[in-house]
Amino acid sequence: MQDSAPKPRVLLTKSFIDSHDRAIATIALALRDAAMEVVLIDYEQPEDVVTVALQEDVDIIGLSFMSGGQVETTEKIVAELQRRDVPDLPVVVGGVIRPFDVAPLEAVGVREIFRGGAPLADVVATFDRLARAYRSRV
Amino acid sequence: MTSADTKPQDSPYALWQQTVSARYRDQSFVARNRSGVEVDPVYGGLDRHGKEAEMPGQYPYTRGIYPIHYQFQPWMDLQIIGFGLPSQTRERMDLLLEQGGSKGYFDREAYNFIFDMPTSMGYDPDHPGVRGSIGDCGISVCKASDYEVLLAGKDLAKTTVSMVLNAGSPAMLGLYLAAAKRRGFAFDKLGGNLTNYIWDFFGHSGGTNFSPRGSYRLIADIASYCAEHVPLWNPLTISEHNICEAGATNVQAVAYSIAAIIAVNEECVKLGIDPDIVVPRFGFHVRYGENFFEEVAKTRALRRVYAKVNRERFGCKKNSSLQARIHAQTAGSLLTAQQPLNNLVRNAYGALAAVLSGANGMTINAYDEALGLPTEEAVTLSLRTSQIIAEETGAVHVSDPFGGSYYVESLTDDIERRVFEIIADIDDRGGLIACIESGWIKQQVSAAAYQWRQEIESGARTMVGVNKYTTDEPEQFAVFQPDPEAARMAIADVERHRLERDAARCAEALEDLRRAAVEVNEGRAIGSVMANLVGAAEADATLGEMQAILHEVFGRNK
Repeated sequence: MQDSAPKPRVLLTKSFIDSHDRAIATIALALRDAAMEVVLIDYEQPEDVVTVALQEDVDIIGLSFMSGGQVETTEKIVAELQRRDVPDLPVVVGGVIRPFDVAPLEAVGVREIFRGGAPLADVVATFDRLARAYRSRV
Repeated sequence: MTSADTKPQDSPYALWQQTVSARYRDQSFVARNRSGVEVDPVYGGLDRHGKEAEMPGQYPYTRGIYPIHYQFQPWMDLQIIGFGLPSQTRERMDLLLEQGGSKGYFDREAYNFIFDMPTSMGYDPDHPGVRGSIGDCGISVCKASDYEVLLAGKDLAKTTVSMVLNAGSPAMLGLYLAAAKRRGFAFDKLGGNLTNYIWDFFGHSGGTNFSPRGSYRLIADIASYCAEHVPLWNPLTISEHNICEAGATNVQAVAYSIAAIIAVNEECVKLGIDPDIVVPRFGFHVRYGENFFEEVAKTRALRRVYAKVNRERFGCKKNSSLQARIHAQTAGSLLTAQQPLNNLVRNAYGALAAVLSGANGMTINAYDEALGLPTEEAVTLSLRTSQIIAEETGAVHVSDPFGGSYYVESLTDDIERRVFEIIADIDDRGGLIACIESGWIKQQVSAAAYQWRQEIESGARTMVGVNKYTTDEPEQFAVFQPDPEAARMAIADVERHRLERDAARCAEALEDLRRAAVEVNEGRAIGSVMANLVGAAEADATLGEMQAILHEVFGRNK
């Protein structure tokens, strides 16, 4: 049976100053292989992420952090989602996420945290589930 | 020990003996093992084609660039260091020195600084987009006076300073040289290294790097300035390591590294710079840890291809233009957050591969880097790993110990052949710059990274503790927590700096920099960008201010 639901649309993004892009590039290829539409950008200001998410009409945002900014940047992005009236747009975070980053990330409502070594199948399934749930919201 | 068609006195072995006795006189490099058996510093014999084998220190340097290597001079341990403010990093430097680290060649102290991502990319801490990354994963440095804190009391004529950074490299060298000048050190006494990863084909850092064309022009400018004014400085490191870490195979990474050398040399030739003037100070940063024998072979192949390309393609005549100096680093991307102590073992094997390859410098990562910034305990264990290899294992007694191995020699030839095939492909595609601009290189690297990941997923490739031999027990490890106050203090410091400096003098120096940049971009006055970066840094311009001008003139990557 053919799946007639539209493909999930995903925004994957990381800071313009973080050069470690192996993980996010790999995730992008995996999500595309799973028939999702992936927009991959780097941002200069956290707020830019929300602008692109709205322009591209995405169902989920994936943030990658390999060298700092984990909490502060995520908090700013979530605040901007609220300000722009899309507080339910799911955000997932991946990369070097240290134990002391977890509580503040969960406090702002990050849906999932993926560290190095997380199985790609789990990552793909999580994006798919959260994106479809967001798209079919009432 | 000679084949029929080689005269004994001209044989590689005889020539090697002559070189060693001329250079080291009566010094003996014979070691004695546990059983009292004498071990020669190198062994020779017949190669795969039945001829007497090349010896270390002989063109094309497959077996190493020195006739006698670790037996005379061990590798330089350059543990990566840097976090928070210059004053915080200085405390860690003092600890490392106390532990017997930071040893450079010829009794110099040596430091391998890593900068936070804003600094690495050329942004000041008060740039609005960089909050949250200041002092995290590296030192925050944006002005000449920061070096006066970082290196307070150090004799810079006896200190080797290595700087690991990306697009911020040119301006960073300006800050260091300006600080040295203020403290009265002559430039011809300053030794160190600038990675100068200012172009982008291995990683992301898209818009913050310079355009590929602008990058190569800037590299020629810096190299030509350093050759004339800072002759002991190494102004360019080609990072095979970073290309591998981004996901490329060993063969791809060696090929793209050599392609980068070709592009730099072509730029120099175009600008009328004799490669023999600048090439001797170029070096490589190579990654170790994925496949033990392949890495030994890739190092041998890299040295050979480099020598051949510089001699045959660019007509280099100086021996030092043909000798690839290699700084080894263990593979960060193989470090796992799961069962992190396993990383100690991975790092040790990586480091051993580097030593058996004849690497010249060494960075062993900390076992806890997949969890966060290294703790002091982890940094010390990395140093101990190097010390155990150097002083306990006996690995240092014989140069190129795998020379003559059927397996390693065959693999070396095979990697060389494949590397030349990729270089020919890049030539056909219009050269490396065209391949970066078209996105082809990036595509190749990402595809290799994805394939690697799929092998992990399917179990075809084992990562112990990740896809095999896994445990569910929660593990508690100390994770280094950077000082959250560092960002606030760095911002307050740069704001105060801007208020206190001579604004007119600084603006004038930045204007001079702009004029020089425009000239160099048009192909004239090569070397004047670097000269004016030093001038602007002396006039208290910040890293970000200088970078903005360079970005404007040389263009940003798309």
